[in-house]
Amino acid sequence: MPRKVNYGLDYDDDYDDNYDEYDYRYEVDENAETPSQKETIKHSVWRCSICTYDNDETMSSCDICGVLHGPLLNNSIYDKKRTANIFDLKSSRVSSTVVGRDEAVKVSSMRSDSSNLSTEKGKHNRLDEINILKNIEVGPPAGSRTSDNCSASVPEGWLDHVDESSVAVNLRSSVKRSLSLMPKERNVMVDDSSSSRNGGEANSLTSNLENISFAAKSGHSNDANPGRANSRAQYKPEKWMLPEKAEHSLTQLNLAIVGHVDSGKSTLSGRLLHLLGRISQKEMHKYEKEAKLQGKGSFAYAWALDESAEERERGITMTVAVAYFDSKRYHVVVLDSPGHKDFVPNMITGATQADASILVIDASIGSFEAGMDGTKGQTREHAQLIRSFGVDQLIVAVNKMDAVDYSKERFDLIISQLGTFLCSCGFKDSSVSWIPLSAVENQNLVSAPSNFRLSWYHGPNLLDAIDSFQPPTREFSKPLIMPICDVIKSPSQGQVSACGKLEAGAVRSGSKVLVMPSATIATVRSLELDSQACPIGRAGDNIAVSLNGIDGNHVMAGGVLCHPDFPIAFAKHLELKVLVLDGATPILIGSQLEFHIHHAKEAARVARISSLLDSKTGKVAKKAPRCILAKQSAVVEVILQEAICVEEFSKCKALGRVFLRTLGRTVAVGIVTRIVEEQ
Amino acid sequence: MSRTVRKVLRETAGGRDAERVALKLEIKVEAIDYDKEGSVLRIRGKNTLENEHVKIGQFHTLELELQRPFVLRKKIWDSLALDVLRQASDPGASADLAVVLMQEGLANILLVGKSMTSTRSRIETSIPRKHGPAIAGYESALKKFFENVLQAFLKHVDFNVVRCAVIASPGFTKEQFHRHLMLEAERRQLRPIIENKSRIILVHTSSGYKHSLREVLDAPNVMSMIKDTKAAQEVRALKDFFNMLSNDPARACYGPKHVEIAHERMAVQTLLITDDLFRNSDVITRQKYVSLVNSVKNSGGTAHIFSSMHVSGEQLAQLTGIAAILRFPLPDLEDIEM
Repeated sequence: MPRKVNYGLDYDDDYDDNYDEYDYRYEVDENAETPSQKETIKHSVWRCSICTYDNDETMSSCDICGVLHGPLLNNSIYDKKRTANIFDLKSSRVSSTVVGRDEAVKVSSMRSDSSNLSTEKGKHNRLDEINILKNIEVGPPAGSRTSDNCSASVPEGWLDHVDESSVAVNLRSSVKRSLSLMPKERNVMVDDSSSSRNGGEANSLTSNLENISFAAKSGHSNDANPGRANSRAQYKPEKWMLPEKAEHSLTQLNLAIVGHVDSGKSTLSGRLLHLLGRISQKEMHKYEKEAKLQGKGSFAYAWALDESAEERERGITMTVAVAYFDSKRYHVVVLDSPGHKDFVPNMITGATQADASILVIDASIGSFEAGMDGTKGQTREHAQLIRSFGVDQLIVAVNKMDAVDYSKERFDLIISQLGTFLCSCGFKDSSVSWIPLSAVENQNLVSAPSNFRLSWYHGPNLLDAIDSFQPPTREFSKPLIMPICDVIKSPSQGQVSACGKLEAGAVRSGSKVLVMPSATIATVRSLELDSQACPIGRAGDNIAVSLNGIDGNHVMAGGVLCHPDFPIAFAKHLELKVLVLDGATPILIGSQLEFHIHHAKEAARVARISSLLDSKTGKVAKKAPRCILAKQSAVVEVILQEAICVEEFSKCKALGRVFLRTLGRTVAVGIVTRIVEEQ
Repeated sequence: MSRTVRKVLRETAGGRDAERVALKLEIKVEAIDYDKEGSVLRIRGKNTLENEHVKIGQFHTLELELQRPFVLRKKIWDSLALDVLRQASDPGASADLAVVLMQEGLANILLVGKSMTSTRSRIETSIPRKHGPAIAGYESALKKFFENVLQAFLKHVDFNVVRCAVIASPGFTKEQFHRHLMLEAERRQLRPIIENKSRIILVHTSSGYKHSLREVLDAPNVMSMIKDTKAAQEVRALKDFFNMLSNDPARACYGPKHVEIAHERMAVQTLLITDDLFRNSDVITRQKYVSLVNSVKNSGGTAHIFSSMHVSGEQLAQLTGIAAILRFPLPDLEDIEM
C-alpha cells in the first residue's frame, strides 16, 4: 500500500507554490523593472553622435551603437554564477570568435554597425556579433558594451561587459573548450556595484534568472538557421505592439468550458451566443429544424458549436470549438471542450489557451456522482488539468437545475463535495464562484432568474460572473510567441493560415515570422480575429494568421510562430519536474507515456528518474528512486519519439507546461525545467 | 553449415579468373545480421571445414533464407536454447495478428508475430480542425488520411498469413475507418477484404501510439484469439508486475542486483526476463542467468522469458530487462543501491 502521508497542505498547493515561485519572482522583478525603466527615460538625455539615438544621461555608452559617452567608466566585472545548463549552440560560430579573444577592446571597435558585427569573426570581444542585432525594427541595443580596459581584475578570458542596458555576457576562461556560449545560460546575478549602473539597465535581465543566449548571427535576415537568439531582455517592443493606455475597448478573455460528458457545455455556450445576439434567429431555427430531423431536438443549441457531421450525429463534441461574444468588460473567446474521456487530448489543446474557465456540472441525481467518479468521471480530471494550466479563476456552473427542481439542498450538496476537491486542487475559495443555472430553460444566464423556485439564489448571473473575472496579465513586451493550434490550407489561393492564441508579443501584417519546427521564415499576409480582419494582433488575442512565402507542409499544429531573432527551442530530450496525480499507476524508468505540451503531443519514454522531491519543501528527498508513486513529485528525464517546440517554464509559461497521460488517464502534470539536448 | 555460393579466384594461364562456385561451407559464427523486412539472416564467420576453394580461417558470410536447410552445431546446448528451438519449429503456434493502431492523423500498422512485433507502416498527417466554412477541409483531409491507411493496409496485411486484423483507436476513428474500408472494398471490389470481413475486429485503446499495443492484446475479444501465444502471456505477466508494483511495491522488484538478492532469499515467485540478457556474448553472465531461471523454476516459481522484439519485451528491457514478483514483501530492498 502506498504510505499515507499527511501532507498538511495539499500537494497541489505546494506544487503551485513552486509554480508561483517562478511566477512571483519573475513577475515581481518585471514589474519592478518596467516602471523604473519608464522613469529613467524621462531623465535628461544625451544624443549619441553616431547614431543620433537619445540615450539616458546616466548611460555611459550609446544604446544602439555602443559608442562611449564621456570618459571610460569603471565597470565592475561580474562574476557570473553559472548554472549547469549549458547547451550546444546550433550555429556555433561563436566558438571561433570566442577563442580568439583579446582583452583590450578598442573603443573604436565598439562602434560597429550592426551589419558589421556579425560578420567579423576576427574581432575580439565581439559579443556584439553575438548579440544579434540585425533587424533593427526591433532595435535591441547592439552589443553595446563598454569593455573594460580598465578593469584590471579581469581574469584570463573573462569578459564582462555589462553594458548599462545590455545583458551581461559571460564567457569563461574555459573558452578553450569549444562552446562556452550557450544559449539559455541562466544566471546573471550581476553584481551591482558599478556606479554606472542605473535603472536604465532595468530591462536587462540581469536581475532575473534570464538567460543570455548568443548566436553569431551572420546578418542575414532570412537565415533559415536561427542561431540561438539574444536574451529576451534585449528585445525592445515597438510602439505599435503595446496596447494604447487609455483604451476603453474591451480586453480579450479566453474562456474554456469544461466538464464531464453530457453536462451541457455546448448547449450552454450555444445559449449564451444566442442570447447575446451572436446567432441570428434564422440560424437558430435552422439548427432546431435539422436537429429535430435527426432526432436530436434537445441538441439544437449545441449544434451552434458542434458543426461537423460526426459530432452532430453522435451528439457529442469531439474537438474544441471556438466562438466569440462580448460581455460588458471583455471580448470573450469561448473554447468549448469535449468532455468525453477519449478526447481529453483535444481538450488539453483547447484549454491551453484559456485564461479563465467555466466548469459545468450536471446537477441531476446520479450524473453529478458519475462525473465525480475517480476513474470514469471527467469532472476531477478536467478540474486538475485546468488548474495545471495556471488558470486560477473558475466559475462552477451547476447546470440542469431544472431537473432537480432548483432545489437549494442539491446545490449546497454539490458545493460542499466539489468545493473540497477544488480546494485540494489548488483553487482558492475566493476565486471560485458557484452559479446555479439551467441552460435549457434560460435561467440565470444573462439576467436574474425569473423562475420563482430559484429565488433563493441572490448571487450574480453567469454573464456578471464572467465580468467579475480579473483581467489576465499579458506579455506584450516579449518577443512574439504563438503556438499553432490549427492550420488551414486553402489550395486555391496557395495560402496557409495558422490559428492560435498569441502568448507573447505582437504581430501585424507584413511582419516576418519564423515558423518552428521547420525553421522557415514567412511573412504575415493578414490577420483575422473573429472572422474579421484586424490590423494588429497582441498577446492574448486568438487570431488566424495568413502566411505568405511558405509551403503548407511546413506549418503544422503543434508548431510555434516566433520572432525570427528569438527562435523557440526544439528538442527531444527534456527534464521535467512532475507531480503524479492521485490514483495513477506508478511511473518507472522506461514507462511509455503520452506527452502533451501546448498543442503538440508525442509518445514519450521515461529515461531517468533523477530525484524524488519532497512535496512540502520542494527539496530533493531521494536520488534515483525506483519509481514514482501517486502524489509524489519528482524530477524526471523523458525522451520523445519526435522533437517538439518547447521552452522552459521559467521563460515562457505557455510552452513549458506538460501533461503525461497513459491508458486514457492523466498520470502526471509538470513543467519543463531544462532542455537536455537540442536538435 | 549450409550451401552457399562463393566467389573463387583461380589462377589460369591468361590471368586471374573469378568464378562463382556453389559450396558447402561451415563457419564459426562471429557476427549476425538480421534483416527484418527482408527476412534474411546473414552470418559472418571464419571457415572451419577444409575445402578445396576456401582455406580454413578465411571469412565468409552465409545468407540463410527461408526454405533453405542448414545445420547448426553448438558446444553446449542449454535448456533455454533447446526450448527456443522447439518453439521455433512448432508450426502450429504461428498466431500472426495484424494491428492497425490509429488516432486522428496518425496510424501505425503492426504485425504481431509469435516472437516479435514488427512495424510495417507508419502514416502521419496533420488534420485541421476548423469550424465554420472550412469544415470541408477537415473532411477531405480525413478522407485522404483514410485512403493512405487503406493502401498501407492492403499492402501489408495478407489474410493468408494473419489470423485476424484488429483496428484500434480512441474515440470513433476506428468506426470511421472501418466504414471507409467497407465502402471502398465494395466500390473497388477488393476481394481480400470482402472475403475476410468477419476477421476484422474493432478494439478501443487510449491512443494511437505503439505502446497502446498492450491494450489491444489485453482486449477480451483479441485475447480469446491469441491466448495461446507467447505475446498474450507476456502482456499478462507484465501487467501483473505493474499491478503488484502499484499495490504493494515491496513485493515487486527489478534490476539484476535486486532480483538476485531476492532470489537468494527464495522470495521470487515469478521471474520476468528478456531474452536479450541471454544473447549476452559473455558466457559467464549468460550461464548465470540460465541458472537463475532454472533455479526459479525448480523452486516452484514461474519464469517468463520475454522476447525483446515485442512491445512488452521492449518495455521490460527499458526497466533493465529483469524483474520479479515476490512471494513475500521485502521492504529493505528499497535501501539497497541498484
